[in-house]
Parts: sequence; structure tokens; C-alpha cells
Amino acid sequence: MDFIVSGFQKAIALILSGNSEIFAIARLSLTISLLATSAAALAGVPLGGWIAVKKFPLKKLLITLANTGMGLPPVVAGLVVMLFLSRNGPLGFLNLLYTPCGMALAQFIIALPIITALSISAMQSVDAGFYRQVLTLGAGDWQAIKVCLKEIRPAIFAAVIAGFGRLTAEVGAVMIVGGNMRYQTRVLTTATVLETQKGSFDMAIALGLILFLLSFTVNLALTYIQQRKAAPRW
Amino acid sequence: MVKVRGLRLSVNPEFTLSVESFNVAAGEVCAVIGPNGAGKTTLLNTLALLTEADSGSIEIMGRDALNSAHKMFLRRAMSVVFSQPYLVNDTVYGNVALPLKLRGVKDGPAVEAALELFKIGHLKDRNARTLSQGESHRAALARAFVTGPRLLLLDEPFGSLDARVKETIVRDLRRALKSAGVAVALVTQDQGEALALCDSMAVMAGGKIAQRGSAQEIFARPASKEVADFVGVETILPGSVVKKEANLCYIEADGKTLEVISDCAEGDRVFVCVRPEDVTVSGNPDAGSMRNHFGARIISVEPWRLEFKVGLDCGFSLMAAVTKQSVEGLGLKPGMDVFASFKATAAHLIKR
Repeated sequence: MDFIVSGFQKAIALILSGNSEIFAIARLSLTISLLATSAAALAGVPLGGWIAVKKFPLKKLLITLANTGMGLPPVVAGLVVMLFLSRNGPLGFLNLLYTPCGMALAQFIIALPIITALSISAMQSVDAGFYRQVLTLGAGDWQAIKVCLKEIRPAIFAAVIAGFGRLTAEVGAVMIVGGNMRYQTRVLTTATVLETQKGSFDMAIALGLILFLLSFTVNLALTYIQQRKAAPRW
Repeated sequence: MVKVRGLRLSVNPEFTLSVESFNVAAGEVCAVIGPNGAGKTTLLNTLALLTEADSGSIEIMGRDALNSAHKMFLRRAMSVVFSQPYLVNDTVYGNVALPLKLRGVKDGPAVEAALELFKIGHLKDRNARTLSQGESHRAALARAFVTGPRLLLLDEPFGSLDARVKETIVRDLRRALKSAGVAVALVTQDQGEALALCDSMAVMAGGKIAQRGSAQEIFARPASKEVADFVGVETILPGSVVKKEANLCYIEADGKTLEVISDCAEGDRVFVCVRPEDVTVSGNPDAGSMRNHFGARIISVEPWRLEFKVGLDCGFSLMAAVTKQSVEGLGLKPGMDVFASFKATAAHLIKR
């Protein structure tokens, strides 16, 4: 029991001391997850809206794929991205393996189906009559989707929050694609794993605490935006 | 403005929209009426370019509306109002300005004018979700007028409103339509609403346009039994023309002879249509100028709007609309013997 308490005490002291390595790791974690979430949101939200309102062959199959992708194990995503980015892989010429960019790419692939699938289901809650009305107001297809997405803003933000949450907690993909290289590709989750394996629990707890605080802060901001213009229904 | 020719659209195996011809001119308000499932909304959605037709042609403002290259241009030349206002989560002003925003046009005076047209200028800063039903419908109408549409499609635009609110909105809409000179197709089940707004009518039944003409013509001279039934002709008797003198036809129906002015020929099998408001009920055996005068027994007396409907057995069934004063004055009640009469010009013949 004592080692837990002392672990926490040391962790807090470590954070307060302004250990530059810890903060560099935290910064990299945040940058990669935010970048991947933003890219996945920019692609997944409109894609989800489009899939929901359009009629096309294999629509159900595509939705099933998105839903399946929500449960995609990060290690699998990491493995695939690693194989693609490896020297002999089809994208090897990009030299992205063991770089933050490669890690963001792997995380993008993890977040995209989550945000897309949740956006599809949110969009499908919009009354078809509403969508048709927006079309008659003179909207093009994408304009109409945008107007509808704005109507379900809280649900769309929930999708983005879910995607971000998955990425901050994710360790498998960044470990495989990034390689957990000190000062280069080490992020909070991979560092926590490493420190735990080494038995330096104070460091591991410090990293865990920072991860939690970062996640909380980002979610606080997202939730604030989500709730700011919610319809006055409740 | 709108020309529909040979339009076919199979909605499901049981229902096909099939419109041979349907025109609405600029400045004309055409009410499309008909029972549930007649195809009114399907026709409107096709005109709104929301549903694609299987075959036929639709020309709007001289352009082929089924050509997808014209779709956006035409959609932006028209406005559609549905029975639900479908407002976005924004202020009333934001809602009314939305069509302009979607067109990349700067809002301003047009929005203010549209708000004033439907008397909701004072609500412009309110969130649209906090409006009453009547106010929401006004906002939807203002939004439809803000772009100055050339064609306005209204699908039961006041569906769920109470009669008083509906009346005030219909009055404002009529004023707005007068000044706009826009072509209008108004789908409605409410014949009062249709009569208050329209210049002409189209009656739909079974996916087809059963009759097109002025409201007066349709109400007085329905072209088919279905139309007669829908426009409130309650007495529809099968019979045949047994004799004709000049344009006065003698029709035998249920063993009685009725006299009706019509251009039908001797030997024609017909339906005799009599509107309840054209039937007079009295205790007087003298026919006066009425050519159709029958002794009758009252079967039923039921309240109907502000009057009463009296079911009569004259050897055939006849329905009469009688004022409350007459019901009380004559003491009309079931089982009572009275006289029922109607003019030869009041009845209308439909060939069977």
C-alpha cells in the first residue's frame, strides 16, 4: 500500500519539478492525438453524413464496415500501418515509420471508423423531411448535409470525443509504428508501459496522471463547445 | 410556369402516380385536393425535384426539370413549405435568412421584408425552437418568400394548426400571394383553405388528376363519382335518362323520375348528383318553382358544421343541409314526414 502512496507523492513532485522530458512526452502525445482526431473528424463527419443520407449500392456493407472498425484493435491498425510504411512497403518511400507523422496516421485509421460510424447513426436520427426541406431551400447536397450536421452538433461532438478518447488511451498502434524511441516517438501511454515494466512506479504514475489531466482538459473544452449551442429542449 | 406531361412514377406495386397533363400558370394559385393516398404529395415532391419520375416530362419556367443540369437552378427558383415547418436551431432571423445564405447572397432588407410580410418581425431574435406552432408556420412561410420564388409549392402548410390561427395565417398568405404574382400549387385536404386561396383546382384520386378547373366548376359539376364524393356531393344516385325535352333530362332512379338540366342524351346511364345545400326541406306540399319535389320521411338529423344534415328517404336516399333555425322551426326529427325539393339546375349528371 505504501508504495502506491509514495508513488503518487513522488509523481506529483516530479510534475511540479517541471521535468522537461515528461512535458516533451506529454506535448507529443497531445499533438499526435489532436492531429489524428482533427483529421479523422474532418474526414469522418462529412463522410458519415453523406453515407447516412445518400442511397447507393453496398450502403449497408459500408455501414457494417464502419461499425466493425469501431472495434478495430489498435495493434492491428498499427501492424498494418507499419507494414505499409516499412522500407519495403508500398508507402516506404515516405520514410514515416518511427516518426510522429506515422503514429498520427495509425491513430487516424483507428479514429476514422469510430467518428464515421457514430456520425452515420447521429445523422440517421435527423428527420428525412428536414433534409428534404433543406434541399428545397436551395442547398446543394453538401450544404444540406452541413445544415443537418449542425442540427445534431451535440451528437457529432460526442462522436469526436469518443474518437479522441480512444486515441489518448491507445498504446498498441503508437508502440508498433513509433517504436517508443526516447526524445522522438515516446508518448504518454508507451512511456507508462515502459516505466511500469522497469518498476519505476512513481514515473509511471506521474505519466498516468498527466495523461488523465490532458484528456480531462481536452474533453472539458470539447464538451463546452458541444453544449454551448445545444437546442433549448431540456 | 409549370407544364407536366405524361408523368409516371411507380411508388410501390399498389400505387402509381400517373398525370397526363397538369399546368400551373404564373400568378395562378392551384389547389390540389383529394383524399388520403391520392398522390397529391407525391406529385408535389416530383415538382419539387425531390422525387424522380419514371417517365414523362416536367417543364418549369421553360426548362426541362428532369434534366439534372437544371435541378439546382430550378430548386433555387422555387420554395416549398411542408406541413411541418422544419426550422433549424437558430434565431428566427437566421432561419428566414438561410435560403439566401445557401445561395451565397447577402441578407438584409429581403429578410426584414419577409419577416414583416408574415408579421413576425418582433420575433426575429428568438430561437426558432421556442416559437409557438402558429409562429413556426409563419417563419416557414417567411423563409419561403425571402428569395422571391417564381414557383411556390405548399404541402398541407397549415396541417396541424387550430382553425383560428389557420384563418389569420391564410389571410396573410393570400395577401402575400396577391402581391408576389407567383405560381402556386397548394396541396390540401381542407376544402375551405383551398377555396380561400385558389384560383383553380385539381382533384386527385388514385394517382391521377380526376378533374382540373375552377373551384366553382368542380364543386358544381364534378366530372366523376370520386370527385363528386370528395367535394361533398352526398347524394349520388345511379339512373338512366329516359326522356329528353330541349336540355331537360328525365332520369329514372330507384323508381322515381328526376328532372335535371343537362346535355346528356336519352338512354345515357348516369349518376345524379345533388349537393346537400341545394335541397330544401319543408312541410309544404306545393312544389313552387322546384321541378323535383318528393314526399320524404326523415331518417336522421345530425349536426354538421353550424347546420344540420337531414337524411331523407324519398324512395331513394337524399341528404339535405338545413339551418338550425329551420330544424327548430319545423321541429324536424327522425320518422317525421316532410317534402324535399331541388331545382333541375341544381342537380348534375355524370355519365356512368
